[in-house]
Order: sequence, then C-alpha cells, then structure tokens
Amino acid sequence: MSLAVLVVEDDREIRDVLRASLAAEGFDVLTAVSLSEAAALLDHARVDVVVLDLGLPDGDGAELVRRIRRTSSLPVVIASARHQEAEKIALLDAGADDFLTKPFAVGELLARIRVALRHRGTAVQPAITRYDAGGLVIDLDAHRVERNGEALHLTPTEFNVVACLVRADGRVVTHRQLLVDVWGAEHIDDVHYLRLYMAQLRAKLEDVPSEPRHLVTETGVGYRLATE
Amino acid sequence: MANPLTPAERARAGRDLVGVVVAIAAATAVCAALDGVISLTSQAMVYLFAVVAASYALDRVGAIASAVGAVTAFNFFFVPPRYTLAVEHREHLIALVAMLAVALLVSTLSAALKRETAAAHASETRARQLRELAAGLLAAERESDVLRIGREALARRFTGPVFLVGARDGEVDDRTAIPDDVARGLRCCVGEAAVLGPGTGRWPGLDAWYVPLGPRDSVVGAACVAPADAADAVGREHAEAIAALLAQAIGRLRLAEANLATSAALQRQHLQSTFLAAVSHDLRTPLTAIVAAASSLQQQRARLPVGEQDRLLAAIVADASHLSAVTENTLQLVRLAAGGEALRLEWQAVEEIVGSVVARLRARPGGDRIGVRIAADLPLVRGDATLLGQLVGNLLDNALKYSEGPVQLVALRAGKRLLVSVKDRGGGVGEADRARVFEPFYRGGRIGATRGAGLGLALCKAIADVHGASLVVSARPRGGTRFTLALPVEAQPEAALAT
Repeated sequence: MSLAVLVVEDDREIRDVLRASLAAEGFDVLTAVSLSEAAALLDHARVDVVVLDLGLPDGDGAELVRRIRRTSSLPVVIASARHQEAEKIALLDAGADDFLTKPFAVGELLARIRVALRHRGTAVQPAITRYDAGGLVIDLDAHRVERNGEALHLTPTEFNVVACLVRADGRVVTHRQLLVDVWGAEHIDDVHYLRLYMAQLRAKLEDVPSEPRHLVTETGVGYRLATE
Repeated sequence: MANPLTPAERARAGRDLVGVVVAIAAATAVCAALDGVISLTSQAMVYLFAVVAASYALDRVGAIASAVGAVTAFNFFFVPPRYTLAVEHREHLIALVAMLAVALLVSTLSAALKRETAAAHASETRARQLRELAAGLLAAERESDVLRIGREALARRFTGPVFLVGARDGEVDDRTAIPDDVARGLRCCVGEAAVLGPGTGRWPGLDAWYVPLGPRDSVVGAACVAPADAADAVGREHAEAIAALLAQAIGRLRLAEANLATSAALQRQHLQSTFLAAVSHDLRTPLTAIVAAASSLQQQRARLPVGEQDRLLAAIVADASHLSAVTENTLQLVRLAAGGEALRLEWQAVEEIVGSVVARLRARPGGDRIGVRIAADLPLVRGDATLLGQLVGNLLDNALKYSEGPVQLVALRAGKRLLVSVKDRGGGVGEADRARVFEPFYRGGRIGATRGAGLGLALCKAIADVHGASLVVSARPRGGTRFTLALPVEAQPEAALAT
C-alpha cells in the first residue's frame, strides 16, 4: 500500500506541481486549500505525512499542528517563505517535524518527506539511538562516539546535545528544544550555550569544523544531524 | 497734568524746587554782597544769570518758577522801594518782563535741546539693538531660536508681558502658554495682518500693541507688547522694526526648509525610478530566460536533442534560483530600510553562519572555488543569523560571479573587531567605483553584463549598518577585490560550565 501525503497549499499551480511530482514518486496525494479542509481530511482519510504551507487564507497553521499532536505523531513538514521565519519556528516548537524554505526544489521536498516518514509510529517503535554516517558513529545505548574508527571523548553535556540530535534522526531540532532538553526550561533563551557547545562538538566530530558535514546548522532555527 | 504724579516725578519736582531756591538764594547773596558796589543793572544781570542757569538745567515749570522767583527777589530786595513788591519805575517793570521772557526762552530752547539729545540717544540705542538683533538672527538655525531671540529683544524695550508666536497659513502655532485674550489678539493680528492697539486706529482700546511679523499674505507670526501708549509712536515703530527683522529671519528659515523638502522629494523620486529600473531589469532578465526556455520545451520538445532539453531545464532552474535570490535581497533591503521589524539579535558563532552559507554555495557551479579559513576560538557576536548569512552569501556570490579564480573567506579577530573578509582575484573594483558600490543598484557600468549585483551590496551594507559593523571594499595588492566586514566584539556572555 502506497503512502499518503496531504499537501495543504492554497496556490493551485504549486499544488498541481507537488501533486504530480509526489504521485510520480509513488505517493497517494491528497490536497487541501485551507486549514479547515485539511482538518476535515485528517478526520476522514488515512494520511501518513502532511506538507503544510504557511500563510493560508483561513488562519494559523499552529492550530492544526497542535490538533494533530494531541492525537498522533503524524509527521508534519512546514513550507514557508523567509519572512514567515518566526511563525515557522513557532510551529516547529509546537511539534512540527521539519521545514522547507520557499522556493524549494522537489528533491529537497522528497528528502524532507523521507526523513519525516522514518518517524511514522515512533510512539510504538523503539526510539532511534544510533547514528552512523560518513565515518561518524554515535551509539547512545553504548554511550560511544567514534570518528573514523577512533573513540572520542565527549563531556556529559556534549553527549546530551548529541543525543538530542541523534534521537531526532535527521529532523531539525530548534534552539528552544535543545536548550530545554539539555539545560532545562530556565535556559530557554541562552542561545550562546548552543553556540559554544556546537563549536566544541564540531571541533571533535567534524573533519573540517568550518564546513561541517554532520552537525548541520539551520540558520536562525536550530541544528540537525545530516543523514543523507 | 491731570494724572497724579508718580513717585519719581514727585521726587524730581522736589529736586527742581530746591534747585530754584538755591539759585535764587545764591544770586541774592551775591547781589547783597556787592550792593552799593555795582549798579542795579548789574545786579539784574546776576539774577538773569541765575535764571538762565536754572532754566537750562530744569524743565519749563522750573524755568518759569525761577524767573518769577528771581524777579520777585530782585524786586523785593534791590529795586527801590526796597523790601516791598511795589515797582517804582516803568524801566524796572520792563526789566522784570524781559527777565521772565529770557527765562522762558532759555528754558524752551534747552528743553528742546534735551529732548533732541534724548531722542538721538534713544534712536541710537534702538539702532544698535536692531543691529544686534539682526546679527543674532543670522546665526539662528531654528524657528524656535528666532522666537527666543525676538522675545529677548522685545523684552529689552517693553517692560510689560511680551508674547511672540509663529504662524503658518494664517494660523497661530498656539503651543506656548499664552493667556486667552492675548491669544485671541494674536490670532486677530495674524488674520488682519495689521498692527492693532493704541494709536493705530485699530482696536485703540487695547492695553498692548499686536504686531504682525511680515506683510499681508505672508504673515509668519505675531508679537504682543506692553505697555502701549498712543503717544509713543517711537516705541511702536521700534516694535514694528523688530517684527520686520523677525519676519525676515523666519521667512529665510522656512524657505530653506521648503528647499530641503523639495530636494529630498526629488532625491526620493530619483531613487524610486532607479529602484524601479533596476528591479525591473533584475526581475525581467531571468524571467525572460525562463519563459523562453520553458516555452521552447513546451512547443519544440520533440525536435530538441536530449542534451539541449537538459540544458534548457538547467537554465530554468538556475534562473529561477537567481530570481529567488534577487527577490529575497530586494525584500530584505526594503524591510531594513523601512526599519519596522525588530531585529532578532542573538549570540552568533561566525563559524556556524559561514559554514551553512558555504555548504549552500558549494552545491552551485563554481562553488568548489571557495576556500574557508576561520581562526580558532573566535568570540561570539550579537546579530541576526539570517541577515548575517545573507550578507556573507551575497559577498561570496559576487566574488564567484566577478572572478574566475579562487575565492577566499577569512575570519579572524583583530582587537575589538571580528573581521570577515571575502577576497577574489577578479577584475577588481575601480578607485572611482569603490565609494559607490554600496549604493542601491550601482553596477559600475556593468549593467546588463551581469545580473542583479547592484542590489546585493546595498543590502550587505544595510545589514552591516544594523549590526553596528563596517563594510569596506579595497583593492588587493596583486589584483582582485577584498570586502571586509568588521563586526564589533562585545563582552562575551557568561559561558555554561564546560562539562
């Protein structure tokens, strides 16, 4: 059975292009032009992943994300323009899985959907505890980090930061999520902690720290571990 | 005079009386001492001298008093029959009348002389005050300065409360605290564009003069001065002279203001038309290419070789990406210029910002020409990551576009600055163009040759500005260009325990 994507987008041209490209990749494609239509579809149809446009005519996407999160871990990918950055971050913090900045190439969309879909049913599946890409192996259960076969020593906080990213499994983790998970809610605004620890981690985990291949910065949003 | 005397006038009258008594007593004493030695005629001369002296020094009343007193004393003490006021000879009567006439004449002449001297003195003082006022007004740069200087000048001459307000289009700027009746008078004065008050034939019942600043149709304000006396034409003229000077000064300032506004509007218009021309060029060029490539694929696909189809598709993607970048730059520049949106200034690591920009550019054709060198342990800077990323991205993009060789990005600390330089070995920016490359849409004569560079650097400069950073362009010793961004390094935040 093929996977179902719900595309919530009010522009007809974009909707048609996305429908065609996603159908070509073998997805069942549902479309909605408004949040209310999307909500109705979610109630009555099987959906495996949602691609949600920001700036829909009938209001706030955050409402839909919160509604989805109350009942399921259905992956949600946000598509937003640059000037909607604040709204995008709010949605990510509200539980959306990932984002795309408009304009985006179809390849990027497919990559985001693939990452998001790995999390289908994470509520019942065992949590992701291992990262293995480009010579970097992070094993949370064994508490081991290796680069090119060599064991690395991370401080406890460094390890907690990395663990957060590993568990997200390629999805972006916002600054707030990282700060709350690692340091606690009272440090929600201490973005400089992240800057300092990420610099330390890049120095340890990356071959060329100034051009990281694993610890990817999503400017203004957060960090992710590159999985592809 | 029907009016009761003021204390000063009463004191002067008392002094005059004493003067008259002293002068007559002195003349009497001299005559008595020389009695029998000199003739009666000579004694009359002594009295005459006293009268002339007193008449010169005192006013008309004093002069008459001294003449009457002198004649009476001369008659009483020396004219036979002595010690009576009876006059024996007609001759003596003539002498007495003559003495009275001389006293009045001298007093009148001296009073006129004194009046003229005083008038000359007063008019000289006025002229000096007006000169000083004119000089002070030349230095005034604001209308409020003019009004302040004007108030001081009026207060030097008029002791009563002095009010001075500006007016525009027949309306008084009533922002200062002014009593209602005065405000009404000022409004009326501005409306009628004429002097109101005693002696002017308009509203003579007022106890102050209302003087408009400037002629009808260009009244720029009004003054209210007191005390105002119908007979004090000189005082009124002085007030009008001051008003004329103030009107001139305010008129000059308003003209300069209007000129400035006009030139600003012209400049805005010019900028707007440059903006439109550049945006339409920047947007239309890639759009034209996209439409051409897409329509060619739509209509001729069957006849196009596969390689050509791929080339057209790649052109569409590249031009659309370029269009997206131009749009982003334009919007960001407009947003920054509008200044409405609050910046999200957070602690940023330059290494991170550069890293994500370079990662994005690496995927582009020519992206492998970028070399990155970032010093270890760079301090954090406060900034907006998205904007700084856009700045660095634009610089790198430009360097790739205008040069064929390697492009280097270097970040290092220099004292209280964090320097980010982007260097290329391209054709370089001419000396003349260097100051202007940051102007919106300036292309250094390359318009048409390359797309959309004009806006990118203007945005870079605007982003540097909002970060309190400098952005300069310089020529490299062996050819090429270097753009250097100098970000201020602030006191670093308290670091989390490094565990």
